[in-house]
Amino acid sequence: MKYNLSKVKRVSKPVLVIMYIVCIFFAILSLLPFVVMLVNATRNTYQVQQHAFSFVPSKYLLDNLKILNSKDTFHPIRGFINSLIISSGATVCAVYFSTLTAYALVAYTWKLRGAFFSLVLAFMMIPMQVTSIGFYQMMYRVHMTNNFLPLILPSIASPSMVFFMRQYMIPSLPLEIVESARVDGCHEFRIFNQIVIPMMKPAMATQGIFCFVASWNQLFLPQILLTNKQRYTMPIMVSLLKGDIYKTEYGAVYLGLTLTILPLFVVYFLLSKYIIAGVALGGVKG
Amino acid sequence: MEKRKTFSYARYGYLFSIPFIVAFMLFWLYPILYTAIIGFTDLKGIGTTKFHFLSEPFKNFKTVLTSASFKTALRNTVVIWIINFIPQIVFALLFTAWFTSPRCKIRGQGFFKIVFYMPNIMTAATVAVLFQALFAYPTSPMNDILTKFGIIASPFNFEVSKTSAKLIVAFIQFWMWYGYTMIILISGVLGINPEIFEAAEIDGCTSAQTFFRITIPCLRTILLYTTITAMIGGLNMYDIPRLYLNGGPDNATLTTNVYIYNQAFAGSYMYNRAAAASLIMLIIIAVCSVAIFQMYKEKDPTKVDRKRRHLAAKKEVTE
Amino acid sequence: MKKLVIALMVLALVTSAVFAGGAAEGAAGKKTVLNIMSFTDEVPGMVTKYFEMHPEEAAKYEVKTTIIATTDGLYQPALDEALKAGGADAPDIYCAESAFVLKYAQGDMADYAATYKSLGIDVDKLLKSADIAQYTIDIGSRKGELVALGYQATGGAFIYNRTAAKKAFGTDDPAVVAEKIGAGTNSWDKFFQTAAEIRKNGVAIVSGDGDIWHAVENSSDKGWIVDGKLYIDPKREAFIDLSKKLKDGDFHNDTRDWQEGWFADMKQAGAKPVLGFYGPAWLINYTIGQNCGDTYGDWGVCAPNIGFFWGGTWVFANKDTKNADIVAKIIKWITLDDSDTGLQYFWANGTLNGEGGTKDCVASGTVMAKSNGELEFLKGQNMFDVFVPANQYANGKNLTQYDETINTYWRDQVRQYTAGAKTREQAIKDFKTQVADNLDVIVE
Repeated sequence: MKYNLSKVKRVSKPVLVIMYIVCIFFAILSLLPFVVMLVNATRNTYQVQQHAFSFVPSKYLLDNLKILNSKDTFHPIRGFINSLIISSGATVCAVYFSTLTAYALVAYTWKLRGAFFSLVLAFMMIPMQVTSIGFYQMMYRVHMTNNFLPLILPSIASPSMVFFMRQYMIPSLPLEIVESARVDGCHEFRIFNQIVIPMMKPAMATQGIFCFVASWNQLFLPQILLTNKQRYTMPIMVSLLKGDIYKTEYGAVYLGLTLTILPLFVVYFLLSKYIIAGVALGGVKG
Repeated sequence: MEKRKTFSYARYGYLFSIPFIVAFMLFWLYPILYTAIIGFTDLKGIGTTKFHFLSEPFKNFKTVLTSASFKTALRNTVVIWIINFIPQIVFALLFTAWFTSPRCKIRGQGFFKIVFYMPNIMTAATVAVLFQALFAYPTSPMNDILTKFGIIASPFNFEVSKTSAKLIVAFIQFWMWYGYTMIILISGVLGINPEIFEAAEIDGCTSAQTFFRITIPCLRTILLYTTITAMIGGLNMYDIPRLYLNGGPDNATLTTNVYIYNQAFAGSYMYNRAAAASLIMLIIIAVCSVAIFQMYKEKDPTKVDRKRRHLAAKKEVTE
Repeated sequence: MKKLVIALMVLALVTSAVFAGGAAEGAAGKKTVLNIMSFTDEVPGMVTKYFEMHPEEAAKYEVKTTIIATTDGLYQPALDEALKAGGADAPDIYCAESAFVLKYAQGDMADYAATYKSLGIDVDKLLKSADIAQYTIDIGSRKGELVALGYQATGGAFIYNRTAAKKAFGTDDPAVVAEKIGAGTNSWDKFFQTAAEIRKNGVAIVSGDGDIWHAVENSSDKGWIVDGKLYIDPKREAFIDLSKKLKDGDFHNDTRDWQEGWFADMKQAGAKPVLGFYGPAWLINYTIGQNCGDTYGDWGVCAPNIGFFWGGTWVFANKDTKNADIVAKIIKWITLDDSDTGLQYFWANGTLNGEGGTKDCVASGTVMAKSNGELEFLKGQNMFDVFVPANQYANGKNLTQYDETINTYWRDQVRQYTAGAKTREQAIKDFKTQVADNLDVIVE
């Protein structure tokens, strides 16, 4: 029975105005630092040192670009490609395998299921600070430095993403569809790839964005593991711009930071339609 | 249910979990075990690979638990997290309600959703630097605005006052994560069968009733995820406290992970103490997680259905 | 299915990237690889210049540079791992900043450094003929053997603004300013006397307490650690009172070094005009010089009341290097060559990359004596006249490898006390607790 939603009681005007005010306030709050960052990218070091926060753009954008290009270690295109390889690789691995693992936890009943889920949760709770020390020491010992694989493959095991996918799947994955596909004679793996994955799209898009952003902005592990100039990621290159504190070219640094974040915006806008649009999951009626 | 059918497919459960387990064992087992063992040894300093198990196995743990800095760190972590999380979940739920309810046609919803998440994209290092500039003393935009409008007589040193430092760090965390939380909740709401909402409309529920009696219970699984990850993230708070004032002033923003980092990297490379502190934090986090799981389990799904049916029945009676 | 295809594509990209990188390195196999590790592009730039000047060497060697900034504390872990792992990727030449140089010269990582003598450098003769500042030798010596030297000399002086000086004393003559701050007295008494006097004329003597900290820190008799125990040298402890005195008397603008307010004072745009800053030559060229705005040319420099040094980079050689002879040549050229074609001469006269570069003080007294330190910024004053004797007072014997951390804790507590947040005893007690909790040092 289709209900005519236009007859729905709308909220009153004053309440709507308040809502708009609150939303606009938060929008400004969220955008402010980005504006400052962009403005600073057009100023030179002296201006930034005198007044770090300003809304008045200046004319040094091209100068800063020149400084960036003159730096021996700043090659934005290569850095961009390196970051792209690592982040896309990590995101694809994490999203796909986390969904697969979550599916294993939700769709099937098996003896060690509870224990495995507890392991995933326990893994999620470990403070990453100290384990990363052991991780990079291990990588140095097996001579896997300057290699992208140690930065991509470990994300196959992403406990918090598995947790999210499981929590999302439990109420929204209708096992009846899986059953009917089995009756039709589909392989389990095909069922997963052709039926379950399309249904998980909003969740995968959401987690995909988060994973990509986190991986892109990551500095500590890549910095320790990638010492070859050719392999530097964008964040590493930008951190190199901050040399000794007395010689930092702040304007150029802000420009570098802006260039680093730009691709993230692109990815975000590409995937954001999954967040805005209502891709509801109610596939099975009745 | 179809127990017979799923049972024979059980092996796929094992099969599909294999990639995770293999990756885990390859990359993380060694570091985790290494950390766990080191907590019981005297390993410190760079370049030392030989270590000896302490005659008093819990010595490191005792040192950590009795140190004033650790106790302060634990207290700070909890305080800052609470100040950050409560507004965060309130506003996230508020915006989720506004942006998914058919009653509030807020134009530009898509724009707001996109913008609210943006703070999460910025690197922590950049955020810390910008906020340092915003609240510097004696000259900074914040101080300039406050003195110009006469709110305070002379510039306030935000970085020396312990209260303001804590509040600023909590605010930064809120600012960076409220959009993220909102998006997670919205994606959860998008997974709820819209027919349930239609039924609620038919029953004449107000938006508040719809939200609290239907949306939130249906979001239970996602809310559990949000609470647990927020708690874990909160107890592991590291990048902003370290980058903003490095745990200062006077340990006011020292969180447990910054404490652990200091043990390992402040100069003495006391990996053993850092590992011991990590193990202690792991236990604390595990206990809190169990508590949260229990809290959510109490809301039995059958009880929720009963509530809904009860509500529907009440409406029928009054009509 | 689509996801699988994408995954495979990414995997293909990755493997190609991995192998492509490897292939490129293999192709360059003819030349011997020289690894340099630093935290700024200064030393790598010098190595490039050396090979430009010696094309016959350049034909034999290929330089691989790794630069990791010290901000975010990432340089040291990377350097430590590279040294420990050894092999072909270990650095042949590496650098350390004054904040942590002790760790690599005398502390936990000192065993990885080669002595200059073992590289074939005639240390004793060259040190004497180049007249290298004593403090840089002290810092770079491991048990009496030289393992590192700095190329810069960072002895400090008092850099003052001439207009502010005229407002304070009626004259901007360096001799008068020097006498007013008590040059040569090795104490702060005359300094504070003058601070009170000029306060009446509305002039602040320094910008913030950070300005006098380096002079205090470096002039103490002993370092922070004595016999493995935390030791608060009375001269350093006095800083807590000096800072309070500055604040109570309103002798400064209460700024924090490296923040907006401090930079603003460099162009005299703070609450009160500031008389001057304590610092070495690089403070003039890189910091004040950049932030001075319209006050360019309105500065002077005079001897300080307390000798000190601040900053500097030391150059090390890896004891396991397979290229000892070229490493020795490069290091000798950077640190001990006092001829007109040595790096020291270029660095002092700002001619490393052609004319008109920034001038700086260098470790070799011989080079300084024949170089021109006149700066327009100082209204034509020759800064070397002041800085050369200043280098003598720098003390290289009171440092420890934990200084960076301990200094941070100390200044944090002093700031709390000065702001009135706690008592003097509490501040010192909390300082000791912080050191005890975070470092492997015995605290009584």
